[in-house]
Amino acid sequence: MANASENQPLLSCRGISKRFGAVEANRSIDLDVHAGEIQAILGENGAGKSTLMSIIAGRYRPDGGEIFINGRAVQFSSPAGALQQGIGMVYQRFMLVKTLTVAENIRLAAGARGKSPSLSAIRSEILELADRYGLSIDPDQPVHELSMGERQRVEILKLLVQSARVLIFDEPTAVLAQPDVEGFFAILQRLKADGCGIVFITHKLEEVLAVADRIAILRRGRIIAQVSPDRIGSKHELARLMVGRELVLRVDKPDVVIGDTVLDVSDLTATDGNGRPAFEDISFSVRRGEIFSIIGVAGNGQTALSEALNGLSAARRGTIRFMGRPYTHETWAEARHPEIAFVPEDRHHAGSIAGMDLADNFILTRLDQAGRGFFLDTGCIATDIQAAVARFNIVAPSARTLAGHLSGGNLQKLILARELSRNPDLFIAEQPTQGLDINATEEIWQALLAQRARSAVLLFTGDLKEAIALSDRIAVMFRGRILDVIDASDSDAVGRIGLLMAGTME
Amino acid sequence: MKLAVEKRHEQLKHKGFITAAISLALALLAGSVIFLVFGANPLTAYRFMVSGALGSGYGLSEVVVKSIPLMMTGLAVTLAATMLLWNIGAEGQFVCGALGGTWAALYLTPGWPEPVVLPATIACGMAAGALWAMIPAVLKALWRVSEILTTLLLNYVAIIIMDHLYFGPWRDPEGFGFPGTATLPDAALMPRFFGTRIHLGLVLVIGFVVLLHVVLKRSKWGYTVRVIGQGPEAARYAGLNVKRQILIVMAMSGALAGLAGMAEVSAIHYRLQEGVSVGYGYDGIIVACLAGLRPARVPAFALILGALIVGAEQLQTAMQLPASIAQVLEGALLLGFLASEALSAYRIRVVRPATRPIGST
Repeated sequence: MANASENQPLLSCRGISKRFGAVEANRSIDLDVHAGEIQAILGENGAGKSTLMSIIAGRYRPDGGEIFINGRAVQFSSPAGALQQGIGMVYQRFMLVKTLTVAENIRLAAGARGKSPSLSAIRSEILELADRYGLSIDPDQPVHELSMGERQRVEILKLLVQSARVLIFDEPTAVLAQPDVEGFFAILQRLKADGCGIVFITHKLEEVLAVADRIAILRRGRIIAQVSPDRIGSKHELARLMVGRELVLRVDKPDVVIGDTVLDVSDLTATDGNGRPAFEDISFSVRRGEIFSIIGVAGNGQTALSEALNGLSAARRGTIRFMGRPYTHETWAEARHPEIAFVPEDRHHAGSIAGMDLADNFILTRLDQAGRGFFLDTGCIATDIQAAVARFNIVAPSARTLAGHLSGGNLQKLILARELSRNPDLFIAEQPTQGLDINATEEIWQALLAQRARSAVLLFTGDLKEAIALSDRIAVMFRGRILDVIDASDSDAVGRIGLLMAGTME
Repeated sequence: MKLAVEKRHEQLKHKGFITAAISLALALLAGSVIFLVFGANPLTAYRFMVSGALGSGYGLSEVVVKSIPLMMTGLAVTLAATMLLWNIGAEGQFVCGALGGTWAALYLTPGWPEPVVLPATIACGMAAGALWAMIPAVLKALWRVSEILTTLLLNYVAIIIMDHLYFGPWRDPEGFGFPGTATLPDAALMPRFFGTRIHLGLVLVIGFVVLLHVVLKRSKWGYTVRVIGQGPEAARYAGLNVKRQILIVMAMSGALAGLAGMAEVSAIHYRLQEGVSVGYGYDGIIVACLAGLRPARVPAFALILGALIVGAEQLQTAMQLPASIAQVLEGALLLGFLASEALSAYRIRVVRPATRPIGST
């Protein structure tokens, strides 16, 4: 494999750019995938990984740039077109018909491209490929009986049967149990030895270091570094590259008197939809007057924890004390807590309704303040939104503008204004500045800092500099557990956060 | 140079009217093909349809008569769809409304003071439609069973129950063996106006159109329904009680469709018999789609569909063409709507070939 890099790359991207409205998802990206190599693409949520892969796999068309296969420029109009050129993708959500057998699923995928081989031909091809790559599978078993690891193998076989040479995996280990992860890595090694080019999208640092031959780090739509794992000293360095080490913006933190404990969580544990632990034994408390951050690389249980704290899903075990009142994991999920305001991570779907105007969006969580009786008090809503627009410097043509037409920063400020106007005792913000420009980020930071004078603030973030700039205390979450809680004023301890995010305790 | 089809980033302006116009055009085109197959001149056929529906006072009044149940079922489908519930069961709820109204008129209210008979009959018709809609609503709210399937399948159940009743236990003993109930007592009949068959249902349904338009737009409850329909994720985040709204909205939707069935019995047929259920519930889906799921637009599109039905009936007498042409045209209308709806999300662009880099051959 030593001379693989001297050969022409199997797949090569030059200057790939893609915009979605105002968002530049990919900016002039150059990337090579060589035969017999595993190329990892590392980046946070929203860094542009999925967009890039969707372009390579033919789902999106780039606005600019070119894709070459074996040195030849190609254009795809669909995933089928990309597959015809040998590029296939295994999506995070498997695309299988659960009631059909393995062989039937694979024939279905092959049939969609015009070939319709007989079931017996497919079956023998599956067995041959399975043998070659160590993909042990029974072609006649229905897919719904398979484990997630086995389903992934079916997806891989689907691509191999169609002679894919570049295989793209989107967060392939996210749905797998630990033994399946090891099996998956073994399969990757066989594919690699056979001369396939592998693209492996992830935000799990240890996996990257374990399997990748090359690492491309994507941040805000750009590839900011291309490195090989042996040049990377440690997970720590990788983590820093991923979350960024720009100078921390100077934020004035006004002194605030620390007040009563508003939220006290102990031993909270929950499982995800597949019965695997989402987070375990989470204990922490947040006091009025402080910003308490929970930081972690995406996918380490923060989303589930925030859902549980906001009562959107029930935890399995644990207790919560809120404003002095005790709750069990069950009573917490059933109770309504008007004293909690929450800015959700998905500002486009959860936090707002794209097809409704600003006035309608402004009352989403505060219907009780939108008029006394059965009817909405439009006058009162108009006054409220005018005040919010002025106070938070929201740029919008009018209150009748659709939320979907606002820029990310203005939309987030609208959501923030709405949630702050509820005068909460606990203010929870989830990735509040993800994908926003510097100005909007600063404005939101100022608002959060001001809010801690009135309430307890709980911040979920993946952005190290945001956590350091704002927090009084920082809890680091890794694989569903809080590894440590660090005082933000202790600069030695703060230096360890990047390492903790990568799961290293030292 | 070649043409490329790509997704639009922004919606077409006046999309609702453009898609409605395109669907009508496509339906007329499909109709022309059918007429040609039957050996009829499409222009003559359409001329007969227009003169039959719009060319006389009687035709016009009949258009309104047909449009009344269409407005009711169209409104029923629209209301449910506002919350992303696809009530394909307006037909079954229509039938149950007819049953409820007939039962009230024949078996509940005899002996009651006259002024309360009609209101009680209307109330029973609406309640029966609402109850029938509660079956899919409960299944949906508690176990997330797709309402599309349950509402559709329950239509056939309702129709069978109705057939059973007027062939069996409710058959008029003095009806010479003809399948159908006895005529409803006068007190249970909806008044007709202007010497035509236009009846009280028109007043009621216009009232409901205005009411729903205002309530959906201006009330807190209407807001909740719109949020659940347009932003299910946001509704969950905001902690809205989606289950309760499913039950309420489906009940109201069923009540509106039930009113249509009750009114057909009480104002048009005067009894429950064969021919009460002729697909107004399904037509309501077409009306709701064409109206872009806006209550205020429902009456206009119900009138258009009503005109189509009345016009097609003329073809039977004037040109000896089958009356089922009306259904073919309706189907073409809906297909045309679906096609133009899908097509309007795309645009066609002329692509010039990329200039080759210098040095390449």
